[in-house]
Amino acid sequence: MEVKFVPSVCSYCGTGCGVLFQVVDGELVSTLPLKTHPVNQGKLCIKGWNLHEYITSYMRLKHPLVKAFGRFIRSGWEEVIQLTAERLKEVVDRHGPDSVGVLVSAKITNEENYLAQKFARAVIGTNNVDHCARL
Amino acid sequence: MMNHIRRLLVSGKIDLFLAYKSIAGHPLPHAFTKDNLNELEDIHFGSARYPLEKIAAGLSAKNPDLKIGLLSRDCTQRALNVLTVWNQLKPESIEVVNLNCCPSSLKEHADCSYLSPQATGRVKKQIGIDNNVTPQEAEAFNRRERFDRWSYEFQKCIKCYGCRDICPVCFCTECSLEHKDLIGTGNLPPEVPIFHLVRAVHMAGRCVDCGLCEEACPADIPLRLLYRKVNEIVTELFDYRTGVSSGQAPFQVLGETVTLETRPIEAA
Repeated sequence: MEVKFVPSVCSYCGTGCGVLFQVVDGELVSTLPLKTHPVNQGKLCIKGWNLHEYITSYMRLKHPLVKAFGRFIRSGWEEVIQLTAERLKEVVDRHGPDSVGVLVSAKITNEENYLAQKFARAVIGTNNVDHCARL
Repeated sequence: MMNHIRRLLVSGKIDLFLAYKSIAGHPLPHAFTKDNLNELEDIHFGSARYPLEKIAAGLSAKNPDLKIGLLSRDCTQRALNVLTVWNQLKPESIEVVNLNCCPSSLKEHADCSYLSPQATGRVKKQIGIDNNVTPQEAEAFNRRERFDRWSYEFQKCIKCYGCRDICPVCFCTECSLEHKDLIGTGNLPPEVPIFHLVRAVHMAGRCVDCGLCEEACPADIPLRLLYRKVNEIVTELFDYRTGVSSGQAPFQVLGETVTLETRPIEAA
């Protein structure tokens, strides 16, 4: 039985609490707060305590889905990206760029967030950018 | 101590040893094995405190034949006793190596993160409950004031379930605190004071007074004080000392029948 403890940073919000994952035989089984971490000092919120649960959750989306005829239909990346671009273009042409808002995430990296706001400002042409962890 | 652990691992008496290893300045739990004996050089004996016994119980549940050694404090010993009497661990599959802990008249120095309590702020002293007082001191207020003070503490709760998740003796697969018929789930603050009192009742005869819950509480609620009080009642009524007395606590929340017979005859 292989048991490992892996220190990491919570991926939920911008606070950056230190967490410790317990990995048994390659499977993440529990999360503990990092006691010596300067940010959270051994404390966590409910999201942090349950970080290990979403990794193996059956509710995770594993494929790109397109909503058509009121149902989600599995599709390929190429097709989905093309479709999204076309629809976005359509909306911007008809209602103007400020009709689009971009909501970025704490779960993606700093660089990806940068790209997302660049996309909103330079490609779409709106300042409607927000972030779930704008605490 | 390091050589002792090495001998235990090499002889095959234990399959893995749970202790702490210093990683980038952080003493973190680590499972030492026979295959990585050189890692024992970095073993950390200090004030770090994680619920190793809970981790051991989890591993034991996955693989009952696993022989686990662990670094043990006085509170760990008590927790192991409780886990054993509640059939969560087989005593023969656990090997403990004791750490200098809990100061007494014989040894003043101890390695524990709980020895230097944090200073209590002015507001908390004025309208809440000081975490560092004894149950008797906390009872000095009159009924009304006591209720107000405890309510103030409880309404700070952010319902992270951290107290339960870190608790070495919380092993139930189904928890009352998540049961929608017993506790209103999803709302914040949780139902005051029921949420905390349900946990307090479940801690009677179970809590080993390790203080990990209080350390993990983001709202600084004096949980240890509360559980100390319920345990005092259990000791008074049933003459049962959690983690020290043998057998399961006479006051049980689990099981078919609940009996509330008082134990010590002389208590009348």
